[in-house]
Amino acid sequence: MLTSAEVSEVTLTFADGAEHVLAVEAGQNVLDAGLAAGLPLLHQCRSGSCSSCLARLTSGHAEHRAGASSSLTPSEKAEGLRLLCMTEAQGGCSFSLGYDSKVGETKPVVAQSFVNAVERVAADVVRLELELAEGSWMTFRPGQFINVTVPGTDVVRSYSMATTPADLPRIELFIRLLPGGVMSDWLENRAAVDDVVTIEGPFGAFFLKDKVKAPHVMIAGGTGLAPMLSMIDTIRATPGKKPPVLLSFGCQTPEGLFALDRLELRGHWLPGLETRLSVDRGTCESARTGNPVAAITADDALPPDAVAYLCGPPGMIAAARAHLEALGLSSENIFAEHFTASGA
Amino acid sequence: MNEQTPVRRRRTVSANQIAAERMNDEKTQGQYQPYKDAAWGFINHWYPALFSEELPEQKVEGIQIAGVPILLRRAAGKLYAIKDQCVHRGVRLSSKPMCFNDTSIACWYHGFNYDLETGMLNNIVANPDSTLIGKTGVTTYPVQEVAGMIFVFVREDDFPLEDVPPLHHDLPVRFPENNERFPHPLWPDTPSLLDEGAVAMGMHRTGQSNWRIACENGFDNAHILVHKDNTIVHALDWVLPLGILPASDDAITLIEDEDGPKGQMQWLFTDRWKPVLENEALGLKVENLKGRFYRTSVVLPGVLMVENWPEEHCVQYEWYVPITDDMYEYWEVLVRVCKTDEDRKKFKYRFDTVYVPLCLEGFNDCDLYAREAMEEFYADGTGWDDEQLVETDISPVVWRKLASRWNRGIAKPGKGVTNATKTGSIRMRRLAEGKAPGYFVEKIENVNKR
Repeated sequence: MLTSAEVSEVTLTFADGAEHVLAVEAGQNVLDAGLAAGLPLLHQCRSGSCSSCLARLTSGHAEHRAGASSSLTPSEKAEGLRLLCMTEAQGGCSFSLGYDSKVGETKPVVAQSFVNAVERVAADVVRLELELAEGSWMTFRPGQFINVTVPGTDVVRSYSMATTPADLPRIELFIRLLPGGVMSDWLENRAAVDDVVTIEGPFGAFFLKDKVKAPHVMIAGGTGLAPMLSMIDTIRATPGKKPPVLLSFGCQTPEGLFALDRLELRGHWLPGLETRLSVDRGTCESARTGNPVAAITADDALPPDAVAYLCGPPGMIAAARAHLEALGLSSENIFAEHFTASGA
Repeated sequence: MNEQTPVRRRRTVSANQIAAERMNDEKTQGQYQPYKDAAWGFINHWYPALFSEELPEQKVEGIQIAGVPILLRRAAGKLYAIKDQCVHRGVRLSSKPMCFNDTSIACWYHGFNYDLETGMLNNIVANPDSTLIGKTGVTTYPVQEVAGMIFVFVREDDFPLEDVPPLHHDLPVRFPENNERFPHPLWPDTPSLLDEGAVAMGMHRTGQSNWRIACENGFDNAHILVHKDNTIVHALDWVLPLGILPASDDAITLIEDEDGPKGQMQWLFTDRWKPVLENEALGLKVENLKGRFYRTSVVLPGVLMVENWPEEHCVQYEWYVPITDDMYEYWEVLVRVCKTDEDRKKFKYRFDTVYVPLCLEGFNDCDLYAREAMEEFYADGTGWDDEQLVETDISPVVWRKLASRWNRGIAKPGKGVTNATKTGSIRMRRLAEGKAPGYFVEKIENVNKR
């Protein structure tokens, strides 16, 4: 049992106001205590030289470990700056940090991009390829989406990236054409290579969870295929044994199916990928008739730890969730992104 | 963004970048796009690193595979492989080995000392109480030694150790267990490196071309024309065809076993392939008399097996281990099962007096320069689009597709490693000193000796 003399209460305040209180033991440095508590503290050398873990002492006493040298100048120290990897607390004290608590997360940014290609890939789907402009950058997690301002308007629409962060600065979107839609009007009548498009992102909590080796089930309705393509390409490039992936992709009619050549290639490149195609109406050789949810059955013998990613209209998501739970998947392993067609 | 700032397209960067996906002909070439992207090799595979005799007790060697600098050390009878790049400032530890005990190695520059087993930074020579100790380290690589060869599993830093497959997944298929599937009535069972009593004898040297160009040479059945005039062919009166044409749909069988290597077997000297012994229009005819039956197969990450070569009971293995995007380490290894010391001596004698001068050098030297002759066409990546393939190229094309499917990762262009920057002044100085870029680290000579 440690007495209060051996433990100091240290408060860390991030730039976004997030505050965390730590118990730092005597002889322990603040960085180690913070990392042990899971705080997103920036650091690198952990030995007083690189200055990544710079913080400002705002109250109390805390000095660098006795006899330890650091890259801080005496005047910086006098101002209250400390390197947390060298700092021991002498009783209760507080520090402010120059970065916010979401530092490890990707924050949405506004970026400019150029149109590389606009291409009709199905009766009602357009492939839009963008390339981030000089000086613009954003990164994202596979599965997330961006907001696209329709050029010449102030209308904003959301689309998931079909490409991966490794493909940046190239970003690819699959967009469903809607009669009278503002985006559809631009795509069909005005969009041209070299147009400038403003985008903002990334957004969304729907993204591939890292390093899960249990089987993955993906159910995509229409352009809900886009985030699945991003996730599949990410799985393919991730080191280590790859999880089996069962992708069920459905559209209303055979004419609505798209990216089939791409799925065929992925099937070739990723031996663990199985793709099932469904169409609600009409017939085509490669697709079964029905919805993509029903294409997954008890015969697939999904283990209870299988994870599922769902993207499509709300009705499909609800049906898929119920169906997968009935097949034994646990509800916390089912992740969904539903989209609704925007009005005109 | 300031509204006055004009929005500009980015300048495209081409140096050291993986080829952009070709959307326009994705269908035709797309099946092997991952292979085209693998200029720096496939990673997360087992590769030969050294012959056992190249790494005696206490020796430290530095090599580079697929853009990864690797240090090997043998100490107290145990083999270790760790990343040969100090986490501190990137110095290659192997360029001036400094070891204070049998379980660690220190960086000779600032004394960062690494545990050989775990790669962990466990001391700093002049800073033993540093708070950094125990908090960082270098990647370790699984090592395995068989039949006189040291293999290393070259992995990405975050490839989980528990996912490392057994070595036999990256070695050619074995016999007799595959006799039914791949019968060979014309020669005895092919030995394997993994057989009991197997002895590997061979050599390795650096070739100045991309590893893929090198790899595709060995099982390309039109390439044997380059051997038309080789001494051994005529001294032993071998019937070596001008070329061998595929004559059936099943000329190649894919090997895609779950618990085994992934590759392709070519049914040479069966009715599925037709040897061409004469070209009347050009006045060419093979007139030698002695049949020289052999069969080629290739498995990931690019291991050629030539069965029944150069003689019965013997097999030739070849590796084309990527070093950078324009260099590979060419391994030629003959394997024979030697049950007694006497057998081993005989094999060694024949290796030294016949196989090295006439086969591994005389015969295979032609392959080495043939690969280099192709290199410039492919060096900037355009050759993959511009090549005009022909019937016999089913072999490399099947291989490209298969490799695209079963590789365990595409090596990223080497960063901060030897020979990644082609125009660096150190590289230039070495060239001026007459040292060709290669596989081994450049050792620092004793500073007191001039």
